[in-house]
Amino acid sequence: MKKLIILFALILSSGSLFSQSLPNITLKSLDGKSINVKKVSNSKDVKVFAFWATWCVPCINELDAISEVYEDWQDETNVELIAISTDDSRTKKRIRPLVNGKDWTYEILLDDNQDLKRALNITVLPHLLIVKNGEIIYRKTSYTPGSEDEIYEIIQKYTN
Amino acid sequence: MNKILLFLTCIPLGLSLSAQVLDNITIGLESNTVWYNDDSETGDFFDNANNDGDKHIRSNNYLKIDYNFLESFTASVQIESYEPFALLNYSKSYEGTNLGTYSLNYRDSKLNITAGHFYSQFGSGLILRNWEDRQLGINNSLQGGKVVYEPADFVSLTALYGKQRVGFKTSDGEVFGFNSELDAGALLDFRETSLGIGLSYVGRKEDTPFVDPTFDELTNLFSGRVDFYQNKFYSNIEYVLKSEDAIKQGGQLSNRFVTGGSAILFNTGYSKSGFGIDATFRRLENMNFFSERNAAGNAFNESSINYIPGLTKQHDYLLTNIFVYQAQSIVNLETSQSGEMGGQLDLFYKIKKETLLGGKYGTKIALNASYWAGLSGDYIQDNPDAGTLPSYEVELFGFGGKYFSDFSLEIRKKWTPKWRSIFYFVNQSYNKKIVEGSGAMITSNIGVIESTHKLGNGKSIRFEAQKLNSDSAKHDWTGGTIEYNLSSKFSVYVNDIFNNGSDSDTEKTHFFNVGGSYTKGATRLGLNYGRQRAGLLCVGGVCRFVAEATGLTANLTMSL
Repeated sequence: MKKLIILFALILSSGSLFSQSLPNITLKSLDGKSINVKKVSNSKDVKVFAFWATWCVPCINELDAISEVYEDWQDETNVELIAISTDDSRTKKRIRPLVNGKDWTYEILLDDNQDLKRALNITVLPHLLIVKNGEIIYRKTSYTPGSEDEIYEIIQKYTN
Repeated sequence: MNKILLFLTCIPLGLSLSAQVLDNITIGLESNTVWYNDDSETGDFFDNANNDGDKHIRSNNYLKIDYNFLESFTASVQIESYEPFALLNYSKSYEGTNLGTYSLNYRDSKLNITAGHFYSQFGSGLILRNWEDRQLGINNSLQGGKVVYEPADFVSLTALYGKQRVGFKTSDGEVFGFNSELDAGALLDFRETSLGIGLSYVGRKEDTPFVDPTFDELTNLFSGRVDFYQNKFYSNIEYVLKSEDAIKQGGQLSNRFVTGGSAILFNTGYSKSGFGIDATFRRLENMNFFSERNAAGNAFNESSINYIPGLTKQHDYLLTNIFVYQAQSIVNLETSQSGEMGGQLDLFYKIKKETLLGGKYGTKIALNASYWAGLSGDYIQDNPDAGTLPSYEVELFGFGGKYFSDFSLEIRKKWTPKWRSIFYFVNQSYNKKIVEGSGAMITSNIGVIESTHKLGNGKSIRFEAQKLNSDSAKHDWTGGTIEYNLSSKFSVYVNDIFNNGSDSDTEKTHFFNVGGSYTKGATRLGLNYGRQRAGLLCVGGVCRFVAEATGLTANLTMSL
């Protein structure tokens, strides 16, 4: 047990040095296109990858809140939000009507057996990554009302 | 074991010499620790699985490390620790500290090869799905090898072989699988249409315990799928056939009862901006499929090869989750069960801004309805004296007894930039005898009102009020939640549900929880003290029974 604790401590202390990139994984979009997340993330514009599921209420709240200000965000910073649904085959069917019913304009990618979620070692939803030039510059989990403003501050900071 | 730990401790040390290497590592850590208390209301702490009443502090820990190297390779390990025993209601097969999964993966534009543990899914998972859910205690990954080959954009072929993970061991049975996916839309250069075709095979080979078996040691499952999407309309259909296999009856595998199975899944929908509708139909007949025949019906969902979720709405509130449906795919002649049939309908609609009902910000409506029943037919009991073999004969589209129905309406309304509310109504009928093994049909009406108020500077407060009325004198529940977010990092909450009915397990007991959490970036620490209600714990449509318990829980999750 002690060794485990030492192991965790070492890993944590080295964690701040990381500047990771996204794994080379291809996911299907809602309209059936294959999209490689590594390629998409390799952009001068800031990209936000938001991991969500149709059954996750805070995720929906977060994406609803961002969708209300998304047009302004895009006009000012050219940011793109890619919403990665981790719904499995039980709830996957609900994605398309939900996204349209809510009038979201995000690109939606399907991670239905959680390959990308697992590769990025994401354990709790919602989980959000801010990426620029292929590198993850910020990671955040959970949502509280208003925390989208903090996200936007980071996006602005990294926008040239 | 100690050597492994020491070895792993050295890895980060060595790695810290090179930031280049660190850039290529991702780490996930999850730790769940509970201090169980004796409780005057719910009784003293006791762990039936391990026959232990002394070790009150339990901890489940998961550390996963992925290392990417030479552009195309990924090495991955997951260490798991259940000390001194696993948390309550976990399978006894999760014991001690050990290497849970490991793998080496090579990936380029055409090939994706994995040796070691892997997770795979064919189509919707009706014949194969390997997945992990730590809350449910499920990790049914396969240990073996997998090759995915994509010779062109429009075709993907998979071959796999493995033994299934069961706790820290592997199953006796072996699993073989082949999958092919063809994107006919891309092949035929359709511009506006997507047309996908999938064909899969899964075989499970396990020695039979009988000298003179009436069934094959290899059981075969085939699946065919068509997936169509055009503009705003989509539709898909899947048909599954399972070859003959011995059925477990009364806890025993029977050489006298051998039969096949099948599944039909149909889904269609239409959606455009501000509107979406989706309908699903599914029929299952004898679709249980395990890497070991004797695992059929095990309480922990261990050794399951395929994925058969309950196709009902996953509700989000405490009282809407008291009566949760679990898909019925077992064969039980005594209760005339051989599967289930039913469907689900979803409707989403956004009432536009600046209209009478839409108000200043618009109103979002979601409606869901589902109905599930048994398969109607003749069920013939085993009678060796009369020379009758056990069997059943069911109609293709005949509804048998009702198992479950659910209707829910959700209205989300933003009143001002700071105030928003959710109104939620659910009507449910739940066949307790079928889902839990005893009891009667219970019909309940549940109402929930939730409001969130933003207070500025990242502060917000959220209230929930919940009420459940039923046609049974046993269930009359009231519940509530208050959550206060002090900032985007700190939040505290308290919730309670209380049954005023006469149900002997839950009456006059407050199932309360108080807790808080601290989040910084991708690290979250949660603390909770409270009482867990006995019942089905369901995640992603798969359920597990959990016993009543009271205790202090600490959760730590981080992703690096």
